[in-house]
Amino acid sequence: MTNNEFYDRLVSDLKPVGRRSALADGLIIAMLFALELAIFLAVGMARSDMPVAMEMPSFWWKLCSCGIIAICGAMVAIASFNPVASPLRGLRWLLVMVFVCIGAGWFVDAAQNGAGALIARLDWQDGLQCVYKMMLLSVPPVVALGWLMRRGAPTYPGATALAVGVAAAAWGAFVFVFACPSDDPLYIAVWYLVGCGLLTLVARVLLPALTRW
Amino acid sequence: MGNGDWGAWMSAAQSGDASMYHRLLQELGAWLQRYFTRRLPPGMVDDAVQDTLFAIHQKRHTYDPSRPFGPWLAAVARYKWIDRLRAMKSAPTEALSEELAVPDHEESVTSANSLERLLQTLKPAQSEVIRLVKLQGYSIEEAARRTGQSAALVKVNIHRGLGRLTALVRKQADDE
Repeated sequence: MTNNEFYDRLVSDLKPVGRRSALADGLIIAMLFALELAIFLAVGMARSDMPVAMEMPSFWWKLCSCGIIAICGAMVAIASFNPVASPLRGLRWLLVMVFVCIGAGWFVDAAQNGAGALIARLDWQDGLQCVYKMMLLSVPPVVALGWLMRRGAPTYPGATALAVGVAAAAWGAFVFVFACPSDDPLYIAVWYLVGCGLLTLVARVLLPALTRW
Repeated sequence: MGNGDWGAWMSAAQSGDASMYHRLLQELGAWLQRYFTRRLPPGMVDDAVQDTLFAIHQKRHTYDPSRPFGPWLAAVARYKWIDRLRAMKSAPTEALSEELAVPDHEESVTSANSLERLLQTLKPAQSEVIRLVKLQGYSIEEAARRTGQSAALVKVNIHRGLGRLTALVRKQADDE
């Protein structure tokens, strides 16, 4: 096909388009986050001892950590749907944030329980259940962010997919906090990291291929 | 870079103005032709230009008219350039078109352009086999005989060299 024929083909396909806006993308994700949380709580999935849990530092530690990582991750991901923007600096800060959150957990742990019987505390059967539920709750945000990523024009698809994965996984974990019966920081650090890590890995592997442009 | 009106033309195209869009595509086509001529082997330039124009067409809604058009265009073009460099890894390493093996043509391909500058940053063993196999159309076996490397090493050096090129282009983009 000659260049002129190619130009004509593109022009004949021209339709008015609505401009992409990072703010609109952010609102879509904020609404999805709120909707998922509302549905989760409305169907009675929250733990029954919530008033007691809310008095424990570990509850607030896991809730705030997951929430902050999810919101910052979503901001990094959405910003990088613009072809001119690179998510690399944001990803570095996210990584720092994850380690700060885990480090804070060790302080909470030391203040709460002290050392000993670490393996028994991990309770792998419940842990795997947590991983499964967290990943399930991460599906709506990863689909929504993936759809926005496909609609956008990320020029660092690998890094953007990583940011999407971190944001979706952290949001899934955030919602799950309301049902998670464990307040043991070691259990939370290990199993939340496994659940979030797996979902992030899946997003990193699949999204660049699914959103290629 | 380019004409200061391109941003306004793209803005008009976003609203459905076909005549402005046609004019914009013609100018972008010429700009991309120059861009890829300095960065890719001649056999890949036309495909890269049309592929990039198609990407611009599909992603035109991501351009924000309140921002300069140049960086947006450069980001899309660089993304497609990296795409092509990656594709060279999996592209056939033999039986390229005969014209690529003509020595004079080789000189025009590799003289004083971005691709050549990038190749010079690689290890000599890597840049040599990339030039022979990917730019001049030699087979792996022929390149192995000419360089004294084993066929397996030629493949490894091509793979690693092209991976390094892609990383360099990415790094340049981050540093800008």
